[in-house]
Amino acid sequence: MNSFVQAIGFGLVTSAILALAAVAISLQVSVTNFINFAYGDFMTFGAYIAWTTNHWGLSFPLSLLIGAATTGLLGVAANLLVFRPFVRTKKVKPVALLIAGVGVSFIVQNGITMIWGVEPKRYSISLGRSLHFLGLSLTPGDLIIIISSAALLALLHITLRYTTFGKSLRATSNNTDLAQACGIDTDRVTTLTWFIAGVLTAGAGVGLALEETAMSPTLGFNELFVIFGAVIVGGIGRPYGAMLGALLVGVLTEVSGMYVDAGYKTSIAFGVVIIVLLFRPQGLFAASGKTS
Amino acid sequence: MFFYIVTLLVLGCINGIMVVGLNLQYGYTGLLNFAFYTYVAIGAYVAGVTTMGKPPSGLGSEAYILKWTLPWPIGLLLGGLAAALLGAIVFSFTVRRLRSDYLAIVTVATAFIVWNGINNYVPLFNGGNGIFGVPYITGNANISTNQYSFLILLVTAVILAAAVWFSRRVFRSPYGRILRAIREDETIVAAFGRSVWRSQLWVFVAGCGLGGLAGGMFVFYIEAWSPTAFLPLESFFLMAALIIGGSGSYWGALLGAFAVIEGLNELSRYVPTFGKPEFAGNIRAIVIGLVLILVLRFRPEGLLPERWLRWYSAKTRKQFSAISSKAG
Repeated sequence: MNSFVQAIGFGLVTSAILALAAVAISLQVSVTNFINFAYGDFMTFGAYIAWTTNHWGLSFPLSLLIGAATTGLLGVAANLLVFRPFVRTKKVKPVALLIAGVGVSFIVQNGITMIWGVEPKRYSISLGRSLHFLGLSLTPGDLIIIISSAALLALLHITLRYTTFGKSLRATSNNTDLAQACGIDTDRVTTLTWFIAGVLTAGAGVGLALEETAMSPTLGFNELFVIFGAVIVGGIGRPYGAMLGALLVGVLTEVSGMYVDAGYKTSIAFGVVIIVLLFRPQGLFAASGKTS
Repeated sequence: MFFYIVTLLVLGCINGIMVVGLNLQYGYTGLLNFAFYTYVAIGAYVAGVTTMGKPPSGLGSEAYILKWTLPWPIGLLLGGLAAALLGAIVFSFTVRRLRSDYLAIVTVATAFIVWNGINNYVPLFNGGNGIFGVPYITGNANISTNQYSFLILLVTAVILAAAVWFSRRVFRSPYGRILRAIREDETIVAAFGRSVWRSQLWVFVAGCGLGGLAGGMFVFYIEAWSPTAFLPLESFFLMAALIIGGSGSYWGALLGAFAVIEGLNELSRYVPTFGKPEFAGNIRAIVIGLVLILVLRFRPEGLLPERWLRWYSAKTRKQFSAISSKAG
């Protein structure tokens, strides 16, 4: 029982990291209606930029901010240079954009390897020593990850719900043409969405690097399909569904680690995704997801 | 030098069989399969364990199933069949429930599950260490490595030729037309009373089977196979090769296999590398990524597009004029 509670505790940390990336992907898909395959590598990019500035002597929170902003700009650049020209051509298939994303992923991932090398990199800070409370044993760093992830997502919720930008984003996601007809600058909304998605993924990347204690150029790519799993479970293009999907996938993988060999954890996550797809192809938490 | 070229040709032919198989799925039918290399790996493992018998003692412990000593052509066929069977299972579980790009994500998820399972469950195919010591297809005959490469080249070239012939037959058949129609708009095909699902199933299974055959020849050539040989990234290289070469066209598939995969691989060895020589693979991947994006953007049909298949354009034009003249 005790270890069960403990596994849920670890699951919450994993979920907090997954949720940031899953919400970022879902938000971008809801606006642009195609999947960007390179998000895993955006996560890695953010983590490495933060590592570099941290290494130069800047404080860790500042490095995190710089990493997040740079990754946001990378997202905007990827949209302007690669994806937008495709969207502008008539009759583009989502598949073509997905494969173009594979190309971006090749470029970013191998670029990272060439700049930083394959040797594992560590941040100068660690998560600290474990605290024991309520049957959980989590480090202060774990708690900070959970709290800051929740705070970021709450901030995003307020932005989406109460600001003009949030309204125009939701309008664009609902119907781009109609939003344009109402005088919303959909290009600007799309660009900002890419920036926000980049910032969130960089946060997830830094969290992941802290959690795994070291980073390598495939840090985010290895985690990408678990994140897609959370997105699909929550209903594609549904940011709030993605949060719940991340919670479900994160806790389930950690708890399943108690019963089966830890090597099968990711398989369990994908198994859950496939079972969900068999019974609710639109995702668990969506009334009618963007499945067609 | 001669045998260097032979080696290149062997790998080119093996990749050629894979890309031709992938072309059946994606090029003809529009089924996006980002996990093609999983089927290659299954073919390789099954061909290995059905022909290599008990592990030789003294080479460290090697655990795997079956341990049969079948003749190599039967092992090869079993490898192809196993891959086709796995394809049928995965297909019936996933396809038709999702939009094609989301489906692609799910194919990758299944690939991860299979990879994880093989890597962790040692009794199946010896886990992360993989199987090694797969015997030459010539058995105990005294033969040099170079002669063996040449022999493998002959066999793979024959299989590749058969695969191209097969995909040409499919392309020209009424069935091929249904597949292309499904690619363009499956609702219309269903409205004309054709079973979209059954047509897709057979072509998916056939493609996976070809992948299994390629894997079998691969394991006979390199004599070993392990999880590091089929990392998920390999499937993306195959997909990139097909799209750059020209998806839907078997000549495009061949061009992709030889030029994009093999050609760039060799070229990146000679290009003066920035800084360190170990970056050759990274430069190759970046070049493939760039070329992939540029081709998709400016020449989405690939370098050798489907419409260049002479029969296709001539015949459809004739049919079109016949129809339009009938209509007056």
